Amino acid sequence: MMKNKTLHIQILGALLMLLQALMLVVSFASLTDIPQWLKLTGNLHPVLLHLPISFIILLIPISIFINNSKHQEAYLFNLFLHYTALLATITALLGLLAASSNDYDKELLIKHKWLSIATALLTHILIYIYQYTSHDKKVWSFAVVITAITMIIGSHFGGSLTHGEGYLDFNSSEDKSAAFKPLTDSTLIYDDVVNAILTNKCLECHNDKKSKGGLNLASFAQFQKGGKSGAAFISGDPAKSLFIQRALLSLDDKKHMPPKGKAQLTEEEIYLFKEWIIRKADTAIRFHQLDLKDTLRSIIQKIVQIKSSVSATKHYDFKKANEDDIKSLNSPFRRVLPIDVNSPALVVKFYLKEKFNIKLLEECTPIAKQIIEINLSSMPVDDKVFELLSNFENLEKLNLNGTLINGEKLGSLSANKKLAFISLASTKIQAKHLYSIGNMSSLKNIYLWNSQVSDTALKSLQLKFPKIKWDIGYVPDDTELLKLTPPTVSNAEKMILNPGEQVALKHPLPGAQIRYTVDGTIPDSINGMLYTKPFDISGLTQINAVAVSKGWLTSNSSNFTFFVKGIKIDSAIIINQPAERYRANGSTALIDFNKGTPINLNLNWLGFRDQTMKAGFNFNGTETISTVVLSLADNTGAYVFPPEKIIVKGGLNKSNLTTIATIKPPQPTAQRNAGIIPVSVNLIPGKYHYVEIEAINVQRLPNWHPGKKEKGWVFVDEVFFY
Amino acid sequence: MEQQEKEFRLNVTRRHFLTKAGLGLGGAALGGLLFKDQFIGANDQAAMQLGIAQFAPKAKRIIYLFQNGAPSQLETFDYKPLLNKMHGEELPASIRMGQRLTGMTSNQEKFPLVGSTFNFAQHGQSGAWVSELFPHMASIVDDLCFIKTMHTEAINHDPALTFFQTGAQQGNRPSMGAWMSYGLGSENENLPSYCVLLSRGRGNGQGVYSKLWTNGFLDSLHQGVVFSSGEDPVLYLNNPEGHDKQSRRDMLDMLAKFNAESFENIGDPEIKTRIQQYEMSYRMQSAVPELTDFSKESTNTIKLYGPDCLVPGTYAANCLLARKLSESGVRFVQLYHQGWDTHGNLEGDMRMQAEDVDRASAGLIKDLKQRGLLDETLVIWGGEFGRTNYCQGKLTKENYGRDHHPKCFSLWMAGGGTKPGTIYGETDEFGYNIIKDPVSVHDFHATVLHLMGINHEQLTYKHLGRRYRLTDIAGEVVQGVIA
Repeated sequence: MMKNKTLHIQILGALLMLLQALMLVVSFASLTDIPQWLKLTGNLHPVLLHLPISFIILLIPISIFINNSKHQEAYLFNLFLHYTALLATITALLGLLAASSNDYDKELLIKHKWLSIATALLTHILIYIYQYTSHDKKVWSFAVVITAITMIIGSHFGGSLTHGEGYLDFNSSEDKSAAFKPLTDSTLIYDDVVNAILTNKCLECHNDKKSKGGLNLASFAQFQKGGKSGAAFISGDPAKSLFIQRALLSLDDKKHMPPKGKAQLTEEEIYLFKEWIIRKADTAIRFHQLDLKDTLRSIIQKIVQIKSSVSATKHYDFKKANEDDIKSLNSPFRRVLPIDVNSPALVVKFYLKEKFNIKLLEECTPIAKQIIEINLSSMPVDDKVFELLSNFENLEKLNLNGTLINGEKLGSLSANKKLAFISLASTKIQAKHLYSIGNMSSLKNIYLWNSQVSDTALKSLQLKFPKIKWDIGYVPDDTELLKLTPPTVSNAEKMILNPGEQVALKHPLPGAQIRYTVDGTIPDSINGMLYTKPFDISGLTQINAVAVSKGWLTSNSSNFTFFVKGIKIDSAIIINQPAERYRANGSTALIDFNKGTPINLNLNWLGFRDQTMKAGFNFNGTETISTVVLSLADNTGAYVFPPEKIIVKGGLNKSNLTTIATIKPPQPTAQRNAGIIPVSVNLIPGKYHYVEIEAINVQRLPNWHPGKKEKGWVFVDEVFFY
Repeated sequence: MEQQEKEFRLNVTRRHFLTKAGLGLGGAALGGLLFKDQFIGANDQAAMQLGIAQFAPKAKRIIYLFQNGAPSQLETFDYKPLLNKMHGEELPASIRMGQRLTGMTSNQEKFPLVGSTFNFAQHGQSGAWVSELFPHMASIVDDLCFIKTMHTEAINHDPALTFFQTGAQQGNRPSMGAWMSYGLGSENENLPSYCVLLSRGRGNGQGVYSKLWTNGFLDSLHQGVVFSSGEDPVLYLNNPEGHDKQSRRDMLDMLAKFNAESFENIGDPEIKTRIQQYEMSYRMQSAVPELTDFSKESTNTIKLYGPDCLVPGTYAANCLLARKLSESGVRFVQLYHQGWDTHGNLEGDMRMQAEDVDRASAGLIKDLKQRGLLDETLVIWGGEFGRTNYCQGKLTKENYGRDHHPKCFSLWMAGGGTKPGTIYGETDEFGYNIIKDPVSVHDFHATVLHLMGINHEQLTYKHLGRRYRLTDIAGEVVQGVIA
């Protein structure tokens, strides 16, 4: 056992000797010509260096507590000393290799190099001190402390080399990206924006201490000078400027800057650099000199604001109000809300006028200081409110739209030194009362739409108090005449009425007149009946109606078709079957009072094409039948036409019929909008028990139609007898 | 309140698994697996404090005028005279660069470029180009902020619309309005914080679906409430015939008692939501009739929005209602106007659509401005994607159409802290690709949230083991549009 232990120590001691000698040789030699792979081993230096640092620091507590009289402990400690020295030496060797490949600040590098070599030597010396003077605690402690101090100073210089000087300065650890100052008139594009970006994203590797590629961006003069590869930029020519070229290279390109893994320049930032170079890299351009439409202007705004947008919260001098006060004031009818989660400023708004009481506002006094906005719109408050409002010293915005005020006591608001916006739209405010607040320096906008303030009164206010924006809002142009909407009817969607059911016409504009006809002619502002009250109709009625009002153009005519239920039909029989797809609920479809729409032909309609429409109807024969009305679809786009011919036969039974009417309905002459066309056929009057109707579909569509010469369709949904 | 609920859920979950279900410790473990969210620490759901803006918001409320079906950027705001010069010539392959096509034009042999049939002119101080179809919008361009470089990932209506509304194409996420309601809470507790208004133009239309205003995995308190265009804008809000206010109150009190009891037993948070919604409906009975009654509107207001605004269910009426709702503290009012899908017959359809929306859209901006509300209300106008610079179908003298185009389209914003009189971004002279400042849908969402005082990365909700955001894992605030 003992032998093994000695052997271990001996091997380590020999290795240590060898490496220390190598270290000393290398530290004096020039390493520029060593092979690349060896240079790269130097990259292990920052990994390994943490080990000797920890070991050396550990020496201190171990030295205090070690019991040297115990053989085993002494042996282990000796071993530990050997490893410490070995690691310190290897680390120093790797550091020497690393130093050969990079452009570090010379002065810092020399300090780091020699102090670290000294540390390695000291750790070696410690072994001998321990072996020969281990009982003299004073000498030992002194030696350990000296080694530790040397190591700490040396490695601090090392840290400064890679992380930049001051990396341990805790005061400067704030977010570097917040380096932009807010934009002002004096903002210099180079100093405040371009240079700020360089500082954020480039300076880490291109500074006075460490200038990779020979480039130092710490000052404008050095930036201009450039690095090993040439000038950083050519004034006026971004395309030839190395700075831009490198930034635009693909991220994977070795020459791309900033290198992969570091914070990249954004598109806007690259744009900014380009524009700045185009503008002769002038360091004297100020932000406010840029034209309002200049893209550079908006780019700079974008860059600067992205970094500073969080600070949008306005600062107030007063403290937050008591949370419980705010809580107790909140109800569905009075909302007190802070502007945002951090702001002490409050907004108060009132809801539901029937629940409003001036007390609701009075109760806000404990938090009056914090309230910057009050919204009383459409609440029933009159001029008494102004005195109360004057207590809100920090009020900035006041909304009194639609309230009952007339402005007599408006002058009380002069006490509100911060008041900037007052909304008085839709009130009885009078121009003469507005003079009482015109001199308030804080006022910016006053809204007066739909009030008693006339155009001329407004002009004199504007003249007297030009700093305030007096806004009277939209004033209709009297020469512009607008067309009224057509009248509507109360039961338009029904179309089929019971006998005695009345028709009521409506128009939403107060005071508008309705004129209507039932004879198919189009009414206008003079012709047609003046509608006064709901009226009776009978049979098939087509109503045309227009709305008329002074100061407006007469509306388009609206058209309503009504079918009043007629003579009771006992049953209906379909003689020719409709097309398979359009059979609705069979023969009852014609007498079930369910109307179809001209767009959706699948519902409630019977459709015929291959055969004519032919159906029979049974009656009890007690009433005289003189008219039949067919409700037909009209949809030329879908090949649906009125029938060519309608033949009506009647009699006491099916086998004994005479023709009682034949008509040819008018045909369309061009494509037209889909609709419902009722066709009324006058019959030879009689008390028929059975009536048969045949509607012959168009056999050859007209030449103007895309389906010319093909057959047309006939669609029927209801049949009425009168 | 949400914390209390969570705590309660925690207790109930444990109790259920330990005692009622009688599963002992295994049950508790299972509970941990199934109801993870209840077993973890406080405030884990969102990265921000809910119910309040994180920093001073520029906009307090949003009115989103969604132009459903995708209005053509080339007939509205993105003027491309080159297309008129090259009218009928083939779209160069170097411009298309293999962009995928919809099934509607992928079989087309030729892609003839087509210039807009409408005239364009520059307007206002900003010199924004606006087509002759929109004279009223043209009159307010200095209040608008145009983004000409929107782009999206979807090429068909449903996924594109869903993407715009929820930040994902699949339709299982909460929509924008629901996120706002979740993040910022309600301003007015007597109204829903997210309202939806629908209208239909005369052009070729595309549907809207309730998934567009869904609360997704958020509490159903946050889902959009649709106002219908009939006589009763909010269905079933009125008391049934023969019931007065007091009897309704008594009924709700009794119902709340029952609900509280069943919450005690089952612990389903949706029960609490239900109680709150009943209470809000009760208060809505007072708040809504005043808002939806247009009979007292002044002639000036009617002229401002156009006479259509008196006809319920029209775009103009919805714009007016949107202003009234927003003024009353509704956080997010979402309009959808259908009919912009101009695959064919573009000229006629665009004319009708523009006629229906131009006056009212501009009227809304003017109305907010004259009331001093524009600076705190963000208005957004735009569709789900753009339209192609080439003709869909056969290009004839009288007619043309445009297919879906996701690579660039325009929208505008106004008020709410956007920079007025701005034209942001640039497309190439073919109106096909973006050449400067692209804005993705995620960027757009991030910007809107920013204007509302929310960092989009911190408005999160943990669901199925991962945190979700409106902007998913992307999105950058577009500083160029912020004042």
